[in-house]
Amino acid sequence: MNITDLSKLEHGTILRFEHIDKEFTKRLMDLGIYEGAHVILLNKLSFNRLFLIEVDDIEICLRKEDAKKIEVKR
Amino acid sequence: MIFLLAGNPNVGKSTFFNFMTQSHVHVGNYSGVTVEKRVHHVKNYEGANLVDLPGTYNVSPNSEDEGVVTYSLLNESYKGIVNIIDSTHIKRNLHLTIQLLELGIPTLLVFNLKDALQNNGYVVDTEKISTLLKANAISISAKERKPEDQKMIAEELKNIRAFKGIELNYHPIIKWGLQRIHDLLRYDTFQVKKKWIALQLLEGNEGIYQYLDLVKEERIRQVIVEVEERIISENVALSLKGAIFNTRREFIKTIFEECMIKVEEKEHSKYFNQKIDRFITHPAYGIPIFFVIMMTIYQISFGNVLGLGNLLTGYFEWFWQNIVIVYTGAFLDIIGISGFMYGLVVDGILAGVGGILVFLPQIIILFFLLAVMEGTGYMARVAIVMDRFLSRFGFNGKSIVPMITGFGCTVPAIMATRTIADKKERLLTILTLPFISCSARLPIYVIFVSLFFDQYRALVMFGIYFLGVFVTLLSAKLLNLSFFKGEGSKFLLELPPYRMPQLRTVLYQSLEKAKRFVKKAGTFILVGSIILWLLSNNGFGGIGVDPEDSFLSVFAGFIAPLFSPLGFGSWQATSSLISGFLAKEVVVSSLNILYSGNIAAGFTTVSALAYVVFASLYIPCISTVATIKAETRSVKWTLFSIGYPFVVAYMVALTISLIARIFI
Repeated sequence: MNITDLSKLEHGTILRFEHIDKEFTKRLMDLGIYEGAHVILLNKLSFNRLFLIEVDDIEICLRKEDAKKIEVKR
Repeated sequence: MIFLLAGNPNVGKSTFFNFMTQSHVHVGNYSGVTVEKRVHHVKNYEGANLVDLPGTYNVSPNSEDEGVVTYSLLNESYKGIVNIIDSTHIKRNLHLTIQLLELGIPTLLVFNLKDALQNNGYVVDTEKISTLLKANAISISAKERKPEDQKMIAEELKNIRAFKGIELNYHPIIKWGLQRIHDLLRYDTFQVKKKWIALQLLEGNEGIYQYLDLVKEERIRQVIVEVEERIISENVALSLKGAIFNTRREFIKTIFEECMIKVEEKEHSKYFNQKIDRFITHPAYGIPIFFVIMMTIYQISFGNVLGLGNLLTGYFEWFWQNIVIVYTGAFLDIIGISGFMYGLVVDGILAGVGGILVFLPQIIILFFLLAVMEGTGYMARVAIVMDRFLSRFGFNGKSIVPMITGFGCTVPAIMATRTIADKKERLLTILTLPFISCSARLPIYVIFVSLFFDQYRALVMFGIYFLGVFVTLLSAKLLNLSFFKGEGSKFLLELPPYRMPQLRTVLYQSLEKAKRFVKKAGTFILVGSIILWLLSNNGFGGIGVDPEDSFLSVFAGFIAPLFSPLGFGSWQATSSLISGFLAKEVVVSSLNILYSGNIAAGFTTVSALAYVVFASLYIPCISTVATIKAETRSVKWTLFSIGYPFVVAYMVALTISLIARIFI
């Protein structure tokens, strides 16, 4: 399952990034999204096109197609 | 003596810089507002300067903006580093801190936002952190501007010491790679430790290759590939970067656990943020809310209903006409100046410069309100709300910040695109931004609207602005379908917490922009007015000829027929557009001079409309073109940015005048 499968306010742990290119992985890490991080899906925005997640007290917004590439477990 | 100021985006770095130094810089609650490097004197420390580096999460560059940090560390001569850290997000901030401390250069750690952390119920144990990280550490709240903090920081900087630099226990494969790269660097000399360079190279810092000419670059790249392969095949991590990151994260975790002290149980302020966000980023209400806010801002600045700006401009105009011009005229009479010189000063300079300065109140108010929006953190929400819409045209939600800045001035707007990581989206934003009406074009609209469309003031004004945005979007779509075909895009945005904007920063920001505006009026427009008046009052027939026989009339007369289909093929209208290339404000001052203050006589309602439309879209001013050249580093795109708007402006103005002729 990935981030888009979480329901609102559900917690999860990031397992791995699937098919994300190097540069984007780097940007995710810079913002504090990493494998093993504890993640909360705060909200789905713009008609479920954007996903607002929280990792270590930081709120980050990403597009659905990118959120799908982040594998999580409940 | 120089100190570099480094830190993540949006941690109060600019606030700290303003607090610690003699003058101010632009401050905003949005990642990467600081787009230029600034150097100012440190207060209470004679001879020390602070360099404000752009906010970055990492030493290795993601965007042009962040490349500045690597470049400065490698090439600047500095005594030490001041690393500013957001106390409420220590875990993420320390990644940059570790990279800086690995340099082994004297570093002062400033834990900012002490008050916000206390509101969450925590304090930082700076003494312990200082021991663990082997660097001086203090905790402050920069926005409170306490003089004792200022003195303490100056003292800390005076006594800053060099430590050996921290060394993390990286995985053996990485250590093996470090040693091999270190050996390959033996032919090169740097001002920083080779070990640090080696680690940065392993991390994938492309800036190093860019700024240093490494003798063994090929071999080094091979080693990095080899190390990465081993990291993955031996299941250490999913990538080399990941392996380094994980070691740092573990280290940071222990520091976090040991140095954050809980003092009381508090409800987190983020729940308050989320409550507001539910409305502001709502799928249905988000965009209308944004438009209502923007409309209100424009009403207050330029409209009749809440027209504070309009009111002030009225007073200012009265003052200029009845005091400045009258008394200057009287003064010139007394000292016996008349004729040619009198005309130059009163009809040339005062009319030209005054025609622009009267818009100053409206522009200050617009800048002030935009700065407030930026300071609260609302702009990041707008990026979210607008992403869905903007991505259809090939933009990124983040393009909204340059776009809104573009309503003020295109030059800083183009510089603000540096935060867009994707090269294609950045170029697209740069090339289409000039269509957004900057404040310099505003005087043109105001004059024509008050002369020809007074009863529909706000509507016509909004229409012109809307047209600018519309052409921007349409051009982006066209460029996307032609030059930039088939390239995907990414959107990744951090939501900063809402913050109360500080009056002093917001005021300062708007006055700074107003100052730039006045400066332009004092230089470009002054010179433009003088040249224009001279050209329009002298001709082949001698000095003080009839304007119809002037040099200007003859020159502009050649080009003018080109604009006849649009309805304004007169030499006055044409030469005003030509001089508008200096700065768009000059269009109005030129019209004022050339029509001797009676612009209404030169246009019909339809041609006035076509003229306004053309003037709002045609070739960007010379400063914008220079900025585009500097930012794109491409002659091709710079030429494009001149030619394309001319064609578009002509076509749109023609279409509109054809349609208007049916109705009017």
